[in-house]
Amino acid sequence: MKRAMMINPKDNTATVLNDIEAGDTVNLTSKSGQAGEITANQAIPFGHKLALTSIGEGEKILKYGEVIGLATQSINKGDYVHIHNVESAILPPPKEVK
Amino acid sequence: MEFLGYERHDGSVGVRNYVAVISSGRCANEIAATIADAVRGAMPIIHTHPCDRLKEDNERALRTLAGIGSNPNVVAAIVVGIGCENPPPDKIGEEIAKAKKPVDVLTVMRVKDYQDLLDRGLARVRSMVSEASQMKRKPFSLSHLTLGVKCGGSSAISGIAGNSVTGRTLDRLIAAGGSAIFSETTEVIGATHLLAKRASNKEVARRLEAVVDGMEAKIKAMGVDTRGTQPTRANIEGGLTTIEEKSLGSLAKTGTTPLQGVLEYAEKPKGKGLFFMDGSAMTSELISGEAAAGVQMHIYNIGGGLTSSFRCPPGWPGELPLLPQIAVVSYQSKPRDSQEKEFFDIYADTIIEGKESIDQVANQLFQEIIAVASGKLTKREMRSGYREPIVMYSTGPLL
Repeated sequence: MKRAMMINPKDNTATVLNDIEAGDTVNLTSKSGQAGEITANQAIPFGHKLALTSIGEGEKILKYGEVIGLATQSINKGDYVHIHNVESAILPPPKEVK
Repeated sequence: MEFLGYERHDGSVGVRNYVAVISSGRCANEIAATIADAVRGAMPIIHTHPCDRLKEDNERALRTLAGIGSNPNVVAAIVVGIGCENPPPDKIGEEIAKAKKPVDVLTVMRVKDYQDLLDRGLARVRSMVSEASQMKRKPFSLSHLTLGVKCGGSSAISGIAGNSVTGRTLDRLIAAGGSAIFSETTEVIGATHLLAKRASNKEVARRLEAVVDGMEAKIKAMGVDTRGTQPTRANIEGGLTTIEEKSLGSLAKTGTTPLQGVLEYAEKPKGKGLFFMDGSAMTSELISGEAAAGVQMHIYNIGGGLTSSFRCPPGWPGELPLLPQIAVVSYQSKPRDSQEKEFFDIYADTIIEGKESIDQVANQLFQEIIAVASGKLTKREMRSGYREPIVMYSTGPLL
């Protein structure tokens, strides 16, 4: 069974603990144990992030219960979350180099 | 619980017993390296700090070189120079002598010639090493230990595995009266609020915020895309998306104890417990600063990212052989071949596999720290004798 870890109950992303293929069912665990299943929409490499909810453009990305960035486009539940759809809220890339 | 270390006259305790041969300037590196390489038990401290730097950088270089010379792992030191360097060789010697350590200063300007300096240096270092070899380790409480911590090649797994293990281990060491220093100012960006909450008083919180905000402002003023630098390419490959995510994972290695102080680069902490040192995330530079602050050992958390594919060649990550370095590795999904077993001391990837808990691995790390502090060689210490110049933090222009 493919696994992902939700570090904090507030998080809207989880860290995948296997290489995930599109369409895989991922078993979600949290500190309090089993936290349900989620279907991955794309391939996600080991250690990378999976969206646990739908996240609108400009909304906060949460991991460790903290803001790790903002969505640069709308993200669906089960999507791969990384630099293609998230940027830093503190040090975003300057507009001219985007 | 105790470890076996070497008692020093200033009350500190060494976990190693080296004679440091310190070059006061780039021009004296060859002399220092020639002397140190010819004597077993001698450690060359060479660097590329040039004379044409401004006051602030020269003062920091003085603090770093003198700090390394007075590190508890150094039993005695000689400073070699041409004589005209900045920082001045005599000044480095004076500062080391304040730690009640035997120290000699030899400069080309005060002897007959280069060969004369070499002969005198060799004779002196051999005599220091001979004396040092007769010292015996004695039991000391863990309150005499100060660890340096750093993570490198971090992946999104580092925060969950290796850094959490190190954090728990630091909590245990600090509860036993010990101390730890962490650095990497950029890797506090996005997590300052969490660390500031742990400050032992308002002044510590204010200094932390000032240092991190200063770094953030400097980066913003450059108007460039920092992705690929912070987070690094290896970090992004390992699943870290933003500097905030990297910082939050990085801070896991600091545990949960109160932050007792914010140090300048290469500044010695006053008191016990957890300290933050201003500095960059460059490993070699960070370790020099921590060594100058009196750290006796270093814990290096190695993540996934690109590092898993380049298999840690000698010399990576940066290091200072004066400090034994315990490598904690977090990556998974890669075969552990025999070569890897020669590189890493503690495996935290078992946490990801669900085979071991953070506490179990933290206990292994804690036992390893005591063993290494008592003389057990780390994997890195058993590898090649490759040694490179140390790197020191500088902020000003080179004129």
